[in-house]
Amino acid sequence: MGELNARRGRVVVTPEHVEIVLEPAGLGNRFLALLVDFVLLVALAGVLAQISLLFLPLGIAGLVRGLTLLVLGWGYHVYFEIQHQGQSPGKRLFGLRVVDGRGLPLAIEQSFIRNAVRALDVLPLGYAVGALICLMDREHRRLGDIAADTLVVREPRHVAGDRRLTRERVFNSLRVPRVLRLVRHRVNLEEREFLATLCLRADALDAGARLDLMEEVAAFYRRRLEIDDIPFSGESFVRGLVSILFADRLPVQPRFSRS
Amino acid sequence: MDLERFVRERRERWARLETLLSDVERLPSHALGVARLDELVRLYRQTCSDLSEARSLTANAELLGRLNALAGKGYRFIYRRAYGRRLIETVRRFFTDDVPATFSRERGVVLCASLAFLAGAIVGLGAVLRDARNGERLIPAEFFSESPRARVERIESGEERVDSLAKAGEFGAYLFSHNIQVAFLAFSLGAVTIVGGLWILFYNGVILGAIAGLYLLDGVHVFFLAWVGPHGALEIPAILFGGAAGLRLGRALLLPGDLTVATTIRRAFASVWRMLIAAALILIIAGLVEGSFSQFSAKTIPYALKIAAAVALLLALGVYLFRRPVRSVAEGPWAS
Repeated sequence: MGELNARRGRVVVTPEHVEIVLEPAGLGNRFLALLVDFVLLVALAGVLAQISLLFLPLGIAGLVRGLTLLVLGWGYHVYFEIQHQGQSPGKRLFGLRVVDGRGLPLAIEQSFIRNAVRALDVLPLGYAVGALICLMDREHRRLGDIAADTLVVREPRHVAGDRRLTRERVFNSLRVPRVLRLVRHRVNLEEREFLATLCLRADALDAGARLDLMEEVAAFYRRRLEIDDIPFSGESFVRGLVSILFADRLPVQPRFSRS
Repeated sequence: MDLERFVRERRERWARLETLLSDVERLPSHALGVARLDELVRLYRQTCSDLSEARSLTANAELLGRLNALAGKGYRFIYRRAYGRRLIETVRRFFTDDVPATFSRERGVVLCASLAFLAGAIVGLGAVLRDARNGERLIPAEFFSESPRARVERIESGEERVDSLAKAGEFGAYLFSHNIQVAFLAFSLGAVTIVGGLWILFYNGVILGAIAGLYLLDGVHVFFLAWVGPHGALEIPAILFGGAAGLRLGRALLLPGDLTVATTIRRAFASVWRMLIAAALILIIAGLVEGSFSQFSAKTIPYALKIAAAVALLLALGVYLFRRPVRSVAEGPWAS
């Protein structure tokens, strides 16, 4: 996921001239987060209403309840967006965050505007307008996000690297200077990633599909790397390739690269 | 491409930055400390360069995604905007300077919104005065339970509708919640379509004009003015302000001219959010007036007094909002 999908995200260039990708969150996650927030909000409003009924005379209680609902309905989101770096409890739960379109925290006016436009996004029922716009927008923004130039981004959690790939295969007849040099020149970063993913997911594939896919990929790289003398099965070929691509030791020794 | 070693050597500083960032996000800015900030900035810069390096080394989605998120988090913290003033001072200046200056500056869009509403009102009034049956076509059926005259007689002869604080409070709260929804809707429609915002203001004008026309035809216009005036003097302008804020943002969003949309809407934000807050606050007051004062018939408060109160409220609002600002407004850092 992450970077590959993030091609569709918005790129912010920091003053350090590093590009940071803001990866938009999808409709599903956003909806779930909203649901959690909604439940919390209703519970909170209910508790406050009960408390106000207990301690205040009836007329004032009605007024207080009205004000509470108003302040909660608007203030809940604004509070979390400003004070908790764009994460309401629901968003925190699903690893989402509201950020400014330039990757910075929300300014208070953005938060206000974003949440005022909610009045239109909820129409006609259950965020239908918001969801529709969200589906059509490349960055999955609802109208409030568009009006306030904000984005809801996904924050990937810590992922441990997979070591299975980097273990070298003991016998690898692909490890010859000619192949190593060709690999270096003819297999780009995306392809390396694709090959690695293919090996990692191979076990999950249906046996027939696995065989076909591996043979097809192997045939492609046999042609690309001009290897026709090594009689491997497709899968061994691909795994051998990945093993030299992701080995701890450099796949190409310096003396080859200098040549 | 020794990715393993790359990660092994840098893993600790990334983890340290991650802990530091989650620490500082919880602390108020004065409690951060120089040493910690120094370390944070240093680690952030290193992580940025690691991200660049990693991008040239690998297309590994997990690693790049994680580094990207970490650098983004650091960027967000380090380049955030600091709030200088104290809360009380901010609130005071909001009411004494910011809001009046905003409205003085944005009188163009307010005028635009008012004209749309007024045009609607004239159309509604004219249509009903020409043919009373037009009223039924223009006004939604739920407002049509009885003729204006019958309603006035019923209200003036019966008990006061709102006879206790409890009712007034509850009714008022219902009214302002509803009206704020309407104002936000007018704002949102204006912001994303412009035309939709003008249309909803026009449409509200038509309905009000048509109802006024029906009361006028029945000869009970004094009652109508006294009934609608006191809260209408606040409520109608507030909805217009919501709509006007929408038009202002819509202009920035849809007609940015030579600038980018991101720039124009950030320039608009300073005005727009103040107009929105002002509209919401005015609607709360208007709702409370509507829930109590407006509901009294001539038995309790003479209509002349109610109409005078309406005029006074409208004048006060106008003077407060549209007098020339005493000193120039403090604008957001994005405003030019």
